[in-house]
Amino acid sequence: MLEDLKETFLHELKAARSLADTNQLRVKYLGKKGLVTAQLKALSSIAPEERPAYGKEINDLKVFIEQDLEARDSRLKEEELRSRLLAESIDVTLPGKAVSHGREHPLSRTLSDIVDIFVRMGFSVEEGPEVELDYYNFEALNFPLEHPARDMQDTFFVSSEVVLRTHTSPVQVRGMEKRKPPVRFIAPGKVYRCDADITHTPMFHQVEGLMVDRDISFSHLKGVLEAFLHRMFGPDTPVRFRPSFFPFTEPSAEIDIGCILCSGEGCRVCKGSGWLEVLGAGMVHPAVFEHVGYDPEEYSGFAFGMGIERIAMLKYAIDDIRLFYENDTRFLKQF
Amino acid sequence: MRVPFEWLKDFLPLTVSPEAAAQKLTMAGLEVEALERTGEDVIFEVNVTPNRADCLSMVGIARELSAAYGLRLTLPEHDVVAETGELDFNVDILDTALCRRYAGRIVKNLTIGPSPDWMRNRLDKCGIRSINNVVDVTNYVLLELGHPLHAFDLDAIRGHRIRVGTPGMIRGAGAQVTFTTLDGVQRAVPGDALLIWDAEEPIALAGIMGGSATEVNGTTRDIFIESASFDPVSVRKAARTLGVKTESSYRFERGTDIRMLKKALDRAAFLMKKVADGMIYGKIDLYPKKYAPAGIRVRYEKVERVLGLRIPGEEISRSLGALGFTVEERGDAMTVTPPAYRTDVTRDADIMEELARSYGYDRIPAVLPEAVLGEEDRESFRKSTMERIGSALKESFLKSGFTEVINYSFMGVRDLEILGIAADDPRTRAVRIQNPLKVEDSLMRTALLPSLLRNVVHNVAHGTREFRLFETAKVFLDGHPACGGSPGNGRGGELLPDERKRLAAVSFREKTRALYPEDTPDFFVLKGVFEAVLDDLKITDCTFVRSHEPFLHPGQSADILLGGAKVGYIGALSPVVIERLAIKSQKPSLVVIEFDTEALLPFASRDVRYKPLPKYPPIERDTALMVDADLETAAVMSRLREYPSDLIEDTILFDVYQGRNIPEGKKSIAFTIRYRAADRTLRDEEIDSLHSSLVEYIREKTGGEVRS
Repeated sequence: MLEDLKETFLHELKAARSLADTNQLRVKYLGKKGLVTAQLKALSSIAPEERPAYGKEINDLKVFIEQDLEARDSRLKEEELRSRLLAESIDVTLPGKAVSHGREHPLSRTLSDIVDIFVRMGFSVEEGPEVELDYYNFEALNFPLEHPARDMQDTFFVSSEVVLRTHTSPVQVRGMEKRKPPVRFIAPGKVYRCDADITHTPMFHQVEGLMVDRDISFSHLKGVLEAFLHRMFGPDTPVRFRPSFFPFTEPSAEIDIGCILCSGEGCRVCKGSGWLEVLGAGMVHPAVFEHVGYDPEEYSGFAFGMGIERIAMLKYAIDDIRLFYENDTRFLKQF
Repeated sequence: MRVPFEWLKDFLPLTVSPEAAAQKLTMAGLEVEALERTGEDVIFEVNVTPNRADCLSMVGIARELSAAYGLRLTLPEHDVVAETGELDFNVDILDTALCRRYAGRIVKNLTIGPSPDWMRNRLDKCGIRSINNVVDVTNYVLLELGHPLHAFDLDAIRGHRIRVGTPGMIRGAGAQVTFTTLDGVQRAVPGDALLIWDAEEPIALAGIMGGSATEVNGTTRDIFIESASFDPVSVRKAARTLGVKTESSYRFERGTDIRMLKKALDRAAFLMKKVADGMIYGKIDLYPKKYAPAGIRVRYEKVERVLGLRIPGEEISRSLGALGFTVEERGDAMTVTPPAYRTDVTRDADIMEELARSYGYDRIPAVLPEAVLGEEDRESFRKSTMERIGSALKESFLKSGFTEVINYSFMGVRDLEILGIAADDPRTRAVRIQNPLKVEDSLMRTALLPSLLRNVVHNVAHGTREFRLFETAKVFLDGHPACGGSPGNGRGGELLPDERKRLAAVSFREKTRALYPEDTPDFFVLKGVFEAVLDDLKITDCTFVRSHEPFLHPGQSADILLGGAKVGYIGALSPVVIERLAIKSQKPSLVVIEFDTEALLPFASRDVRYKPLPKYPPIERDTALMVDADLETAAVMSRLREYPSDLIEDTILFDVYQGRNIPEGKKSIAFTIRYRAADRTLRDEEIDSLHSSLVEYIREKTGGEVRS
């Protein structure tokens, strides 16, 4: 009798597909008028000596049904949740909503790389006007009027006394006028020369640097600039210093690095020389010190300057300088 | 300058390869920029810096190599063995400061014709066109020895007389002189330009170019060769004023060797005899004040201090000696006398460069300096705040999808016209460039917007349909005493414009199909980016009022006010301007912002005071208020914020609505008020009554109605 009941239950449980089904079974078997409950009620009609054993059997069946129903319930709940969540499916292969960050201009990025290196070496950052007096741009930097050295820089004129600065070097003079040594700063910024072709734009960027104190020597110039170039281009980059000329430094130097495109083998960019000129530098000319009231017998120092476009062009293998100023998003988005 | 390697061998027993010699020159400061192979020879392209006038010749370059390799230099043959006759010539120098020496020779009975191949060949390698044997000799000697010469047709010189002077000196102050140079151009000569005259008329622009009347041509038989020393500044000024640049003026401007002058003259006469069968006559040489070399005192200690290395005394003497300097040792210093051709060497720093150069820059050790920390000043604090503002701005715009652009600092009058900027607007006070490359780049920018609009036109023309750009740069306002912005604390500040840092951004979007719709109007996107910056910088005193900028959409633009003063604007670009720019696009959304970033400085705060976190829960109440549609939301919100109660923690706008269920001319503004007390849990009843009085207050102030 109980075996049959169990058999039927198991059969019906198998057919249960939802929580409603299991609830029905619960009522059918364990409810007040349920089949198992009915068996318990019918216990009184059984012989007293058989009652305990039979009672236990009914109870076991009841526990068995309860447990099975519960197990089934939890399975059903799981399945239901699963199918509900599945119904909320999205196509995970669709692209994400574009969060497009803007790009820093490649010149800005190069500039801040350079500035960071010097700031870490203890240089501060100075600024100066871009529309500048002839005095600061030339005269105080030892470019006398009617001197051929002025031909080195094609100048935009505003008036006889005012020019667009042709280099960041006037900031040297302004910086020294403001304070006494020791001075150690860099001056990044825009400069202007009236020239335009594949390698020249009428406006470009430079970083100027200056360090003045007692006992600052050409050795220090080499040390600082070598350290800078090794941080900028890698510790194994060959560096070469050779004599050159700037009116505001003496001795003057131009500094080359081993060509980063051909590793010194010789290519189109380095014109077959294996070297790329990246920096101009020198010991501050005593005439410049005299203009700012520093005693050249007491102080010495070095100054240097570099073009940012040139460095960015080398770094990103850009072959036309004008791309920097076209501001075509197809170009800018590449950085 | 082009230097044939084979030519150098005339003066030096060179055995090294051209490549090795080129490398040697480069490392001595005479950069060989390129090597060009032509048949048997290799031509160096040497970049001679303006200080090294002495190297503007074959002998000059050979002299450097002789010092570098320790080889003996042999000058070319120039001995005039036979002089045929006397010189019946009169020379007057009217100003010995402008002409320190004037020498000349007469060569007669020349056979004018083509030059021999060896000479034509060398001139050709150096890029000089052969004219005839006589003119070629003057050019050949110029290349060889670096000293410019000029040959006159003797018959064309009137009165056996040469005078060296300016129009002012010869004809009196204010004299107008025109002169035809041998290139056939008639030139008006400035009153202070030095000329060579015969008994009547000018015959040459001294050191620049001869005259056509005395030009040596096929019929010339007798010539006068001039070899002189002219003042560099005077030659440069005259050449620049006249717009002429010649091989001769190039060398005179840089300084010539007053001693080489005679050698050059004799060498030219020697060669003329050789190539044109001339008969050499006697010479004239006016040299009123002999060149006296000045010694330069150089202290050994300073050499060591500036170069950072100790070079032994004998090495100093040897290397300076090889470069033609004489050295006299005197205890702890030496007196160095440069050779006459080194006009660039005038002080001890110059001597140090010579020492470093011959010692070799590569042999000087690289040492990091021991540095003292510089002084911090008041300005450092200002600067670091400004840097912080700069980076906060940049970061905020980059993160919000704006790509950085860098434009030239130029604009044109047309740019201002496109924007409809009025004549009395300060933005018309632009600095004008006297010699711009293009008319549209003839002014310094007084606003960044024109450049960004150029970028928009470019990018749209190249098919980009959606982009955001920004730029931070200076603008230049003329007629403004330089202050604040420019570090114009030096001299002449009143001559310079006011330079102010600004930021401008544009957001361009065409109606395009997109996978995920973006329904926030671009005006509010851009405004949000700007507000994020204000938030970063803890700037609170910022308000937006309707703008009257002529280039903005009058209904969709605002001026940005900080502390009540206008610092910039934000808004949709006016359709009129879009049309003027001829942007080929269907109903584009083009929103722009521009503001003075330095103006943020006084409002930015670095002070943050910590507020304890709330211990008690808040109570929130929402209300929707229907007001007149033209009432600005900011007015409603500021009324709400001014309601006096310590319990109001925050006022949040969450909906502004016009349309269905709202009568025409009205709008609904919905907001949440969050109440909280610092010291207790609020009771609902207490907040109910506070909220209803607040609603009553705002209703009254705005004339609105509460929507339920």
